[in-house]
Amino acid sequence: MNYLREVFASRELLANLTAREIKGKYRRTVFGQLWSLANPLAQMIIYSFVFGLIFRANPPAGNPSGLNIFALWLLCGLLPWIFFSTVITLGAGSLVANAGLIQKVYFTRITLPLSIVGASAYNWGFEMAVLLVALSIFGSFVLPWIPLVIVVMLLLAVFAAGLALMAAVANVYFRDTEYLLTIALQIWMFLTPIIYPMSLVEKASTDVGGLLGTSVSLIDLYRLNPMYHFVEVFRELLYDNRLPDPVQLLVCFAWATGSLVLGAFVFRRNERNLAEAL
Amino acid sequence: MTDNAVRIHGVGKSFRLYRERNQTLKSAVMRGRTSVHEEFWALRDVTFDVPRGSTFGLIGSNGSGKSTLLKCLANIYHPNTGTITHRGRIAAMLEVGSGFHSELTGRENIFLNGSILGMRKREIARNFDDIVEFSGVEKFLDQPVKNYSSGMYVRLGFAIAINVDPDILIADEVLAVGDLEFQDKCFEKFRALRADGRTVILVSHSMSSVRQLCDRVAWLDRGALRVVGDAHTTIAAYEVAVQQGRQG
Repeated sequence: MNYLREVFASRELLANLTAREIKGKYRRTVFGQLWSLANPLAQMIIYSFVFGLIFRANPPAGNPSGLNIFALWLLCGLLPWIFFSTVITLGAGSLVANAGLIQKVYFTRITLPLSIVGASAYNWGFEMAVLLVALSIFGSFVLPWIPLVIVVMLLLAVFAAGLALMAAVANVYFRDTEYLLTIALQIWMFLTPIIYPMSLVEKASTDVGGLLGTSVSLIDLYRLNPMYHFVEVFRELLYDNRLPDPVQLLVCFAWATGSLVLGAFVFRRNERNLAEAL
Repeated sequence: MTDNAVRIHGVGKSFRLYRERNQTLKSAVMRGRTSVHEEFWALRDVTFDVPRGSTFGLIGSNGSGKSTLLKCLANIYHPNTGTITHRGRIAAMLEVGSGFHSELTGRENIFLNGSILGMRKREIARNFDDIVEFSGVEKFLDQPVKNYSSGMYVRLGFAIAINVDPDILIADEVLAVGDLEFQDKCFEKFRALRADGRTVILVSHSMSSVRQLCDRVAWLDRGALRVVGDAHTTIAAYEVAVQQGRQG
């Protein structure tokens, strides 16, 4: 409880550090905030070309929205993923990058990784707003779902924050954690149905049947992946315009809480030694 | 007890001296261990009180543990043994300008750095003019700090830190920054703090500044407390020891 109070007391610092990340990033660039759209747009073009046009990964049309545009379908899953992986990669480096500060000033350390979450969430919010406009233009009636989208966005931010806290601590002790994470995230992305539809996985799963002679199917393994649930929920809300299965929402909630509790615990146990370990 | 701003009791701090340290998972796995190290006690059983309202100096040769002690006071390190208790708000100036973002302007950095040092937005706004005046960078306030000269950079950092308005101010060798005029300003500020009943703890290698500013001094020698007491006698004892060491 004391710790929560301390973190709460540092909210101004957190806001200022977040502003530092946001302002410092695109300051003195001609296009400013528009740069944050460059990376998702580039990825959208590449994946739409390779998987939409060449491989013909035809995702089913939005039900009931009737939307059938690969690029939009892709972005509904890709934007949350880009946010998630940015938070983890930058969050992992956040303590090491501020080593000088940690060794010279006392402040609530957890604000450093959390400011990364805040700054990335700001960019993500901007990207999602653009996506909402695009979806509406192409006929998705997304407005009534916005409150629920925001709730799920918060859940994903909490989930990512918990992982980032653990990664940040690990990176202090083992400096190559950052690089390992980049590889792990790349694998993770391809194991999540972001650039290919779940319908293809279902088909493959029934074709293969039980894996290695057990009754465990491919689909069962996919369900273990928290990001699978998040991506599916985002697509149902944004692309299909329907209410996701409440169980799936609960799964997202459980992953988010679990990750934050564990992350905060790990961080709290190690933060006293940070100045020395750095 | 009532008249002590800080009580340091039996404080010891050990560090690991690494002969081998594997800071990457790759090397840790390949070598089969994370480190080979021995303990090194940078501070051993240090006990003294800092009276409230005094200006307290810490002296000693390089490696005597002065900075380690300051970091323990500033809550950056945690002592392995002993306790430190203090009354009132502590602000530590161990390095000025840490936490500046080079792309942000002087004005933005005042607010950022102030909040890192624990000030509320309201307090910073209230002290804003003092900070600017003290630093003497008003003309460049809306320039990014990357364009500042190193002197301006340090002066701005110092001005922010000294305006935190602490009950206890901890300063590590920061008097050496800036030109003579700025140093005079700093001295004046330290005296004003004392007149205000604030406690100042500072580390310096310049015996003349310690003599000018401090009323009590502690002399640390290889991690242990040698003498603590009145400034002039402690400094004299230290100087004698240094002289003898030079001859012997």
